[in-house]
Amino acid sequence: MARAKTFYTALTYAAGLLFLAIFIGPILWFLALAIRPAETAFAMPPQLTFEPTFDAFRHILVDPGTNAPQLVNSLIVAIGAVLLNLPFSVPAAYALSRFKMRGKKNIMLWYLGLLMAPPIAFLIPYFVLITRVGLQGSYLSMVLVLQTLTIPFSVWLMKSFIDEVPAELEEAARVDGARWYTIMWRITLPIVRPGIIVTSMFAFVFAWNNAAFPLVLSSRSTATLPIGTLGYFATSGVTWNYIAAAAVLAMIPPMIIFLVFDRYVVRGLTFGSVKG
Amino acid sequence: MHATTIRSQRALAPVRRGFVRRNLPYLLIAPSVIMLLALIAYPLLFALRSSFYFWNLQVGPEPMAFVGLDNYVQALNAFDFRAALTNTLILSVLGTAIEFGLGLTIALVLLKALPGMNVVRALLILPTTIAPIVVGFLFRYLYDPGGGLLTWVLQSLWLPVPAEGILGSPTTALAAILFVDIWQWTPFFAIVLYASLLSVPDEIIEAARLDRASAWTILMRIKLPLIRRTATIIVMLRFMQIFNTFDTVLVLTRGGPGTSTRTLGYSLYEQGLVNFNVGLVSAQTWITVLIVNIIVALYVFFAFRNEEW
Repeated sequence: MARAKTFYTALTYAAGLLFLAIFIGPILWFLALAIRPAETAFAMPPQLTFEPTFDAFRHILVDPGTNAPQLVNSLIVAIGAVLLNLPFSVPAAYALSRFKMRGKKNIMLWYLGLLMAPPIAFLIPYFVLITRVGLQGSYLSMVLVLQTLTIPFSVWLMKSFIDEVPAELEEAARVDGARWYTIMWRITLPIVRPGIIVTSMFAFVFAWNNAAFPLVLSSRSTATLPIGTLGYFATSGVTWNYIAAAAVLAMIPPMIIFLVFDRYVVRGLTFGSVKG
Repeated sequence: MHATTIRSQRALAPVRRGFVRRNLPYLLIAPSVIMLLALIAYPLLFALRSSFYFWNLQVGPEPMAFVGLDNYVQALNAFDFRAALTNTLILSVLGTAIEFGLGLTIALVLLKALPGMNVVRALLILPTTIAPIVVGFLFRYLYDPGGGLLTWVLQSLWLPVPAEGILGSPTTALAAILFVDIWQWTPFFAIVLYASLLSVPDEIIEAARLDRASAWTILMRIKLPLIRRTATIIVMLRFMQIFNTFDTVLVLTRGGPGTSTRTLGYSLYEQGLVNFNVGLVSAQTWITVLIVNIIVALYVFFAFRNEEW
């Protein structure tokens, strides 16, 4: 009996290690590509040990710094998309959480449906429109179009946080004669502030990782990091070390956010529909 | 004193702020709804109109001629569009099913709650956090025929690797794309299913165990039915995400070789942003939007009809 238990424990740990090897191994291998000497990138058999070098990062960030402006662009677009989304999504989430409404379920499903729409289907019309109004290549065009993702996402996730604030608190204020906007602004929103921050963080990841919209709407000077990385395939002789270095830069912020907000990851990934 | 204040306010309210008060929730959601409608209605109406015209941006900046339903006929008859539809369905159905199965398996292992497994759980989510386009770069490196790690692993195991590379052969390219999706999204299912299985009350499991139910019966008859709502939502989300995929395909294969990895999303990308055939791509857009809506509507109808919000 005890031996069987030890066996199963060992088996479980072995499975855990196997999962890490399969799901984390490739990421580490790509990380290694960014810091290994270029000539060892495709060595057969693969080389596990090498003299680490930060030449690729120096190349993409400092000299000539091909991807440095794109890093800044990615930040501008993602932060812009999150900030613009708040005045639209916060009141909506509050209303959907706090009030009785006819058709609430359909409204919620409508937001959700937008998250499942094929973004590529909208790209060509946006491309034509943005070109006609002269916004081609602007940050504003990307930030605006990203709202089709960030608003529905934030409404869902934030509603789930507001749902958790006990209604009694608002009831007490209402009895004291407070107006609805005072209640929302002074009581509910301050309590739910951590939820708004978590929502903004995940919305940031959503916007940061989006490649479809910048692919069409950005110009050379406003290209975001993934689009900039795509550019390496256009030039002759693919420079894998640079690609990996730029890709690692693009991977870091979402990874940090997911690890820091570990407790809310399940919620974030399911738009708050699963509490976790 | 206090009571009178409240009463007087209630009496005043309907007169002064009747409209605002009565429609308050709708006024609060209105900005977001208007913003979203503006962003979605325009492209859809634009595509609807363009779909009836011959219009190629390479030929001219304006629509050239009204062609009725020709674009739709052409889209539906095009060999590559049908291939794209087939590939898209294969990827969505197989991808969602395999990811659910593997994710559930991993979730059950994580539920053993051995010390240290928490670290595994926290790290496991990392593939899901990466931008799909970056995952595309990652796997192009791993699949490289001239020294990619996965190519090497397969060869070391004496498995046949096509000379053109895993992504270069029509027999393996679609499977390779499916594998990438499975790699990135199995952790998503694992983590979400783990979290929801954790919330199943122990007493219910204990009671079933006393009744000598097998582990398999407990899983199928008790645990899975209890997390039905969660499972329904994540399966739908993931199915539609795969259905709309195009950036991974763009980086990995550009739909090739031939039409072997062409998806609906990639097809739209190519017709619109490579060939600039606005008329045809608009017809394809509407066909895609209709397919997506039918799938979502059917799913929502069957999965959520008994749900209360």
